[in-house]
Amino acid sequence: MTMTQLDERLGETSVLPAARRRLHELLGQRFVRTIGVTVIVIAVVAIIAGLVSHSPDVVWQAIITGLLNGGVYSLIAMGLTLAYGVLHIINFANGSMLTLGLYLAYVAVHDWGMQPYVALLFVIPAMMAFGALTQKFLLNPVMNGASHNQLLVTIGLAVGLENLILLIAGPNPVSVTLPHGGSFSLFGATVDLGRLYAFVGAIAMVVLLSLILQKTPVGTAVRAVAANPVGASLVGVNIKNIYVLTFAIGGAAIGAAATLIAPFQSITPTTGDVFNLTAFVVVVLGGMGNVAGALVGGFVVGLTEQLAGIIFPEQSPLLSVFVVFLIVLFIRPRGVFGRAS
Amino acid sequence: MKKSVTALALGTAVIATIALAGCSGAAAAGGGTAAKSGTKVDKVVIGSLHPETGSSAADGQAMDNGAQMAVDAINKAGGIKSLGGAKLELDKGDTKGTPDVASTEANREISDGAVALIGTYASGVSTTISALAEKAQVPFVMDISAADSILQQGYKYSFRVQPSATAIGTQGADAVAAIAAKNGVKLSKVGYLYDQGAGETSLEVAFAKEAKAKGFTVDTAIKYDSMSLTDATTQIAQIKAAGDTTLIVSGYYADSLAIAKSIAASGIKLDAVFGVGDGAYDQQTFLTDAPNGGEGYYNTNYAIAKSAEGQQFATDYQAKFNTPVRTGAALAYDAVQVIAAGLEDSGSADPVKLRDAIAAEKSYTGIAFGSGPIAFSSTGENTSARTVATQILGGKVTVVYPDDQATGTAKFPAF
Repeated sequence: MTMTQLDERLGETSVLPAARRRLHELLGQRFVRTIGVTVIVIAVVAIIAGLVSHSPDVVWQAIITGLLNGGVYSLIAMGLTLAYGVLHIINFANGSMLTLGLYLAYVAVHDWGMQPYVALLFVIPAMMAFGALTQKFLLNPVMNGASHNQLLVTIGLAVGLENLILLIAGPNPVSVTLPHGGSFSLFGATVDLGRLYAFVGAIAMVVLLSLILQKTPVGTAVRAVAANPVGASLVGVNIKNIYVLTFAIGGAAIGAAATLIAPFQSITPTTGDVFNLTAFVVVVLGGMGNVAGALVGGFVVGLTEQLAGIIFPEQSPLLSVFVVFLIVLFIRPRGVFGRAS
Repeated sequence: MKKSVTALALGTAVIATIALAGCSGAAAAGGGTAAKSGTKVDKVVIGSLHPETGSSAADGQAMDNGAQMAVDAINKAGGIKSLGGAKLELDKGDTKGTPDVASTEANREISDGAVALIGTYASGVSTTISALAEKAQVPFVMDISAADSILQQGYKYSFRVQPSATAIGTQGADAVAAIAAKNGVKLSKVGYLYDQGAGETSLEVAFAKEAKAKGFTVDTAIKYDSMSLTDATTQIAQIKAAGDTTLIVSGYYADSLAIAKSIAASGIKLDAVFGVGDGAYDQQTFLTDAPNGGEGYYNTNYAIAKSAEGQQFATDYQAKFNTPVRTGAALAYDAVQVIAAGLEDSGSADPVKLRDAIAAEKSYTGIAFGSGPIAFSSTGENTSARTVATQILGGKVTVVYPDDQATGTAKFPAF
């Protein structure tokens, strides 16, 4: 079977959202309805927030901040969702890998004098190599075992990385400054430039990852392995290499996320932990393994945090995030954009 | 039938193992504390419990360093004289910031012969350790742990060197009122951003209560989660909409820094930002991380005293560890010194006698600022514990209140 034939078959049965399938969904009622319901719910919540705060300015700022933060969350969740979608690995080391990326960005900017965004050229390949090596030497040997084995390897990696960074870099916080950074006012709401760049980066990454997965032969092979590893190997796909490649792409995504958030994030050996929980919520909300879903999941979490913070000022915003999380899982057990099995 | 016999046998074996383990633990503890009054002992072990790894590692390691400096100073001066010059030894335990790891470490230290414990930086951890210390009858001197509730359980073996959350919140409101009044500013209301943790919540409650007594109110109080707050533009927009021009903040480092960045980004016009027991606004790293070097930011917190001993400690620390001292190091230093003073007075390395001596202690004046020698109330609070207000002036963390500790004059409006 040629790649084209394989692609055609996958169009009907793929577990990952194949291009055609997504196109159908996009035009299909269900997708439009989901987006519609999401937007309506957010609008209603925003109106309530407006009534509680008596200030349209506050709500407007909350929406802008929520969207910008949501972009950051989805950026961080991208590598996580990719590893799950293809490898079915729940990567607990996602947060520590983010920390590693942040420190690499710090070294590039602080010690080597790189411009913070030029550092992408160093951090992305470095994290890609890290991802590839991790998969090849730590995860591939246990890929055929029970799934908790892989889980335990990633937990071990997380603990190891965090403490290695602590040993080398020490516990004091460091930061990356953005030259010509700053902020501007968008109809009265403050927009931080660094966050805006990260937001744009998140959308660019969704497009790029979707294109790689849908339009390239490599992407087809990746989706084939995700759908049916045995079948893929029968038609000549080297599964282990695809695993390595996928984790490498996941590493690259984490590297990009780290470099993009470095300019506005205080960096310590445990910074990644802060995002770990949120990233899992984002991934599950968006549908495990769904790259575009991670973007929407990020926005939902970001907006929930901000708007709920206004409506319930005495409650932790995290509480509202988990309430929304439970409601969504109750209505849609496979996430907003998850497919029925 | 056969199954139940096996289960019974297994159960008995497990119980026997636990019982034996308990015995060996008790025996080890007995062995370590065998040194009774009058006996000459070679060394006395103090167990420290701090987060050497994890998110609070920067403070935990600094506090270990401070405790070690106290041990070294005492040993250099001839050890515990009433115990024949016995040397002190610090048994360091890494709590990782969690109660369960801390308990394991505390049990290990006690069974290895520790006669007293210090720690733990986190109130949640100290809550667990204070119960454990009570049961084991080993004195536990807290260096940092603010929650009032820890010492409201009627424990006899727990003591606290730092001021409680309520004391910090109350003294914070006093400082804000005094500084505003001194600069001719009539303060009527303030905004308050604080972390959802128990300690920060009691800070806010105590502050609001004292503020009322001083003639101003907490107008907008917004709670946030320090674990997830990386951007505070919405909260700042709320403060702006409410028209509050003085902002109070009680949080940890990263979130307080995020608040400072959001204030700068939003361009809000504030008279002052006042940390109350805040983890950032008096830290050296804040000077480099914050917009405009954090110029003008206030904090109310425990601090190293202006005394010769306090300043010498800061200099020695910087020289030894090549990094600016954190106040936590001074509190850990004081915790060890108080225990040493207790050992000296009791002439015994027996934890029960040591406890009584610490409770009656009033011979040691701390290097952390206080109103006099460290002395404990019946609940174990340090009655001399005081806070100071600092302000970042000309790129330096400067004490501005109370007047007898001040090294600079408060600027209000600060920006």
